[in-house]
Amino acid sequence: MILMNYIVAFFLICLGFYTVVTKYNLVKTVIGLSIADYGVNLLIISIGFNPGGTAPIFTWSELNPNSFFVDPIPQALTLTSIVIGACVTAMSLALVIKLEEQYGTLDTREIRRLRG
Amino acid sequence: MSMLSYQHFPIYSIMVLFLGAFLIVMLGRNKAVRNILALLAVTASFCFLAALVKPVMINGEIIAYWMGGRAPAGGYAIGIALEVDALSLFFGLLVATAVLVSCIYSIQYMSHDHNVREYYTLFLMLSGGVMGLVLSGDIFNMFIMVEILTFAAVALTAFRNTAKGALEAAFKYLVVGSMGSTCILVGTIMLYAQVHTLNFAQLSALIPGNLNNATKLAFALLFIGFGTKAFIVPFHPLAADAHGAAPASISVLISGVLTKSGIYGIIRLSYFLFQSMGLGTVQFMLVFFGCMSMFICVTMALAQHDFKRLLAFHSISQIGYVLTAVGLCTALGISAGLYHAMNHTLFKGLLFLAAGAVLHQTGTTDLDRLGGLSKKMPWTTVLFLIGAFSISGIPPFNGFASKWMIYQATYEKAVESGNIGFLLVTIIALITSVLTLASFVKVSQSVFFGQLPKEYENVKEVSFGMRFAMCIFALLCVVTGLFPNLVTKYLTEPAANAVFNVTNYINSMMGSGYAESVMGESLPAVQTCTFVEVGCWNPVSWLLVLAIALLAVTLVAVCGKYDQVSENKGAALTDSKYDLFFGGEESVYSQVGGGDLFWGFKHNWRHYFSFMHDLHSGIVNDYALWAVVALALVTVFLQIVL
Repeated sequence: MILMNYIVAFFLICLGFYTVVTKYNLVKTVIGLSIADYGVNLLIISIGFNPGGTAPIFTWSELNPNSFFVDPIPQALTLTSIVIGACVTAMSLALVIKLEEQYGTLDTREIRRLRG
Repeated sequence: MSMLSYQHFPIYSIMVLFLGAFLIVMLGRNKAVRNILALLAVTASFCFLAALVKPVMINGEIIAYWMGGRAPAGGYAIGIALEVDALSLFFGLLVATAVLVSCIYSIQYMSHDHNVREYYTLFLMLSGGVMGLVLSGDIFNMFIMVEILTFAAVALTAFRNTAKGALEAAFKYLVVGSMGSTCILVGTIMLYAQVHTLNFAQLSALIPGNLNNATKLAFALLFIGFGTKAFIVPFHPLAADAHGAAPASISVLISGVLTKSGIYGIIRLSYFLFQSMGLGTVQFMLVFFGCMSMFICVTMALAQHDFKRLLAFHSISQIGYVLTAVGLCTALGISAGLYHAMNHTLFKGLLFLAAGAVLHQTGTTDLDRLGGLSKKMPWTTVLFLIGAFSISGIPPFNGFASKWMIYQATYEKAVESGNIGFLLVTIIALITSVLTLASFVKVSQSVFFGQLPKEYENVKEVSFGMRFAMCIFALLCVVTGLFPNLVTKYLTEPAANAVFNVTNYINSMMGSGYAESVMGESLPAVQTCTFVEVGCWNPVSWLLVLAIALLAVTLVAVCGKYDQVSENKGAALTDSKYDLFFGGEESVYSQVGGGDLFWGFKHNWRHYFSFMHDLHSGIVNDYALWAVVALALVTVFLQIVL
């Protein structure tokens, strides 16, 4: 079951990069970046998962060597990663709006004043 | 531990920058207040790091600092750590210097812009991000800092969003930069999955014994991720676009500081985390990327018509030198690479500030429209020439010393390993240096010499504050060029020693004996950095030669009764009888443009130049494709050779 998570995670990352490479619409580029980001989040959370483990919330007295819980660190990392992903999306969409105002198009093939 | 113990200084030097950013948002409406706050923050950060030179560089200590005092328990690093060895401090000092000078320059340079408060906030965020990256001892923390600095750099690239191409450059940078950051995050988490730690020192102890397909993939991902931050080929178009659009003070940071953070990441990754630089194949990978960056970018620069875009390509070309030298894995190579990294920050900063000064006074950086500014801006011209001489490797300026060391290092490597390929590297480095000089001849001709266009007749010299910032860089360029022995002794040699002493790096963080117990026999041998520089390159003697040549030229000019009538007499200028006389017509404006200087060379290479021009299409999909292809190639390569 956890193997499926890994496969889907890497599939999403590849799909995201594929979208960025092949789609000529700025908004789709942003969507591609987000998809790759979701893949990364799924990967991180899967790495911390222990089948049958409980939530990693304990007081000192409850904690003993037999406690079995999922790894809390990847969950913290995922939160950070989600926040960063939201920032990437927000910022790139802001740039897309401004680009549309200046260039009058969303086609990446026409947004190439800087080249050579 | 008292609050003023130097153990705390690394975290202070990061904190003051972020604190400054925060305070400027709140109190920065007033111009004087925000200028003072920004200057205070960067100066304090610089001072905290400068105070660490004695314990770290000279006494060879490594500062291991656990946030909140959470030291490792049961052999596992739980807390978040800062670890400052000589390598970190070396890069930290570069960052602090560049940020300080750029901040001084910004005060007048940005005075005509809107939203200067946001500018300073982002400026300090960017500085804090890079500072946090080079001082951090935790790989996830490094990722966070990479994200902070990428965001700040993207926002600052688009800061003058009405300028030509600013938004476009920022978007491309954001897309490919985010792909790079994603690679870093995936690499980080894959290492975590293998050994369940994020501490850099502990990872360095555990990873080399746990090499499997997953960690090899992580290596490739991290390498490409840090590669996008260093803008090595194939990510160089982003740098060119970003530099062209960003304010000059930010170009200084992008070239002097951001690229260094990428190089720092690659050094940490290949020398510490995977300890794989002993392998000839990994050396080949770094040297290959270095040589590609060196050569492709210098030829791209030759064909440019925009001052800052040209400088941007040169910046990446010089980063290629650094990567090549670092990839040699010899004491001399690493010393040379770090020395060149430092020089690159200084002379590139100077050149970008000079370009900014020209832009500030004339409103353009188009090489075909400028000309003859040396009469109007003598200070900027002289300072620009110092930078141009430095980057071209002309003695006695600093580029000469470090480039000479790089030539020697590659040549010695060829002799030592018997591999003729490294000789080719020496030749590529030499050719690149010649082409660099050629394109700076072009720039100085088309901007500062030649005829002055009518529209720039009222141009004035830049104000004192901007000249002062440029003078600092110029002075440092000359000083580090004249005393290379001091630089190698107090800065690059301790840093190179730190690179070769991974055991000490691990043990200072995890407790003594940890590396030995975990790694056992595979423990890397501690090397001390020793090398002999070949003689006859003493910069002082070269300075004497230059002085004598200058004297001789002056003497000839004086003895030959140099006719100054048509040059200087104020009244004579307006009198047409002193003008050059050719055929009876009035003289017309005929500036020899920069693009025309090397027309023969360009004509012979026209197929190459037009091919490269078409390749850099400016379409973001192409650049993303290059990133994915590079990632795929590096992944396959590393899976095979590691």
